[in-house]
Amino acid sequence: MAGWQFIRFRIVYPLILILLFFIDGNIMSSFGVFLLHSPFHIIPTLTLIWFFYAIQFEATSFVPYYFYVVVFGLLFDVYYTGIIGTYTVAFLAATILMDKLRPYFDERLMSGMLLLLVGLLTYLVVTYFAGSMINIANLSLFSFIIQDVFPTAALNLVLAALGYYPTWSLYQRLI
Amino acid sequence: MRKLFSSKTAVILMVSVMVIVGLITGSNWWANKTNTPPFFQRAINDITGGISRVIAVPTNAIGTRANSISNLMSTFDENKKLKAKLDGYAQNQVKMQTLEEENKSLKKQLGLKATLTDYETISAVTIARSPTTWQSQLVINKGAKSGLKKGMPVLGDSGLIGRISEVNTVNSKVTLISDTSEDTNRFAITVKGSQGDVNGIITDYDADQKLLIMGQVTESQTINPGDTVVTSGLGGSMPSGILIGKVAKVTTDDYGLSRKIYIQSSSDLSSLSTVLVARTEVGS
Repeated sequence: MAGWQFIRFRIVYPLILILLFFIDGNIMSSFGVFLLHSPFHIIPTLTLIWFFYAIQFEATSFVPYYFYVVVFGLLFDVYYTGIIGTYTVAFLAATILMDKLRPYFDERLMSGMLLLLVGLLTYLVVTYFAGSMINIANLSLFSFIIQDVFPTAALNLVLAALGYYPTWSLYQRLI
Repeated sequence: MRKLFSSKTAVILMVSVMVIVGLITGSNWWANKTNTPPFFQRAINDITGGISRVIAVPTNAIGTRANSISNLMSTFDENKKLKAKLDGYAQNQVKMQTLEEENKSLKKQLGLKATLTDYETISAVTIARSPTTWQSQLVINKGAKSGLKKGMPVLGDSGLIGRISEVNTVNSKVTLISDTSEDTNRFAITVKGSQGDVNGIITDYDADQKLLIMGQVTESQTINPGDTVVTSGLGGSMPSGILIGKVAKVTTDDYGLSRKIYIQSSSDLSSLSTVLVARTEVGS
């Protein structure tokens, strides 16, 4: 039974990852009117939240975790921008930092949200600086923090909090 | 004292940073230089684009419904404004038809086959938009199979929104007019001022105010807020006369030598669920 459960997690985890990879981009195009409503810009980061859950619920050892991080980072790069590196580095930096900081946090919801906030900030800051390098990020740093980071963190933390216990329960069943 | 990094870690970190910077800048340069992406990239884009198209159906449907509900709130005010404009519109339409016919017969007399104002449109649906770099790119569901080529202009609900920057077999990437990457080709535009046309290019985008910027204008003609801005057609494949927006404000630079013109785009760049790709005979 345990073996089958282990395989089940190895299948379900990347499948949800693939789904969220598409949903992130589709949400941005379908709900652009609401997410990019002046003056705030909200960026959906469901894929990052899914990566966070694996760290928070200590499930990274059951799947080739960092392989997925790199592969999905590259997929984001190739499919959404055609510029290799920005998303890959952002995902890697955020997940490595969350992974390293995980021992200082516990399983409680608020503790998890704080860890996700660190990951989210890292992800957004890396994409901002990578964008500045090729002159795509044309927002001043101050405006970026006020208009992008705060609303994005608020929405994604609420989404992550809503999915926290259902995901924990799913992980309990699968692992 | 305990060392923060071993020399090995420091070297690995330095090399990684250099590789990453090289990858980002290199791939950006390569993407702008080539007409079609390498085979592996095209294959990934076609496969992911196919799946994305399926997933986009429910999300687009929900997004459209939600948008319709929010539009309903402002219907009353909009209706009042539109009614006021309607009389002038009918008159303009008749005038346009007459001018079109006249233009056609004059072209025939001159033996002109295709000019910069001749183009046909191909409609496409937006299937994805880069989450973090939303102001620079989106993915549409038409590609080389539908006759799309790199550099073709893309129109939104009321004017130019960008151009095709990467063509895969069944989908394409659109670089938006608000993209300001140094390597991308600039959009050649004309401000229809009261004292004559002022030609220039879009040099920047002010994301704070959501305004396009036409910088380094040295011509002295008067430009007023509200003046229309269209594509100039200069530089090749872009047709002329496609609406871009209206002048929002004009400022001078710190030395008073040149002017900066801020343009309000006529299309809402945050809401681009369907777009039109213009296929022109000139330059194709």
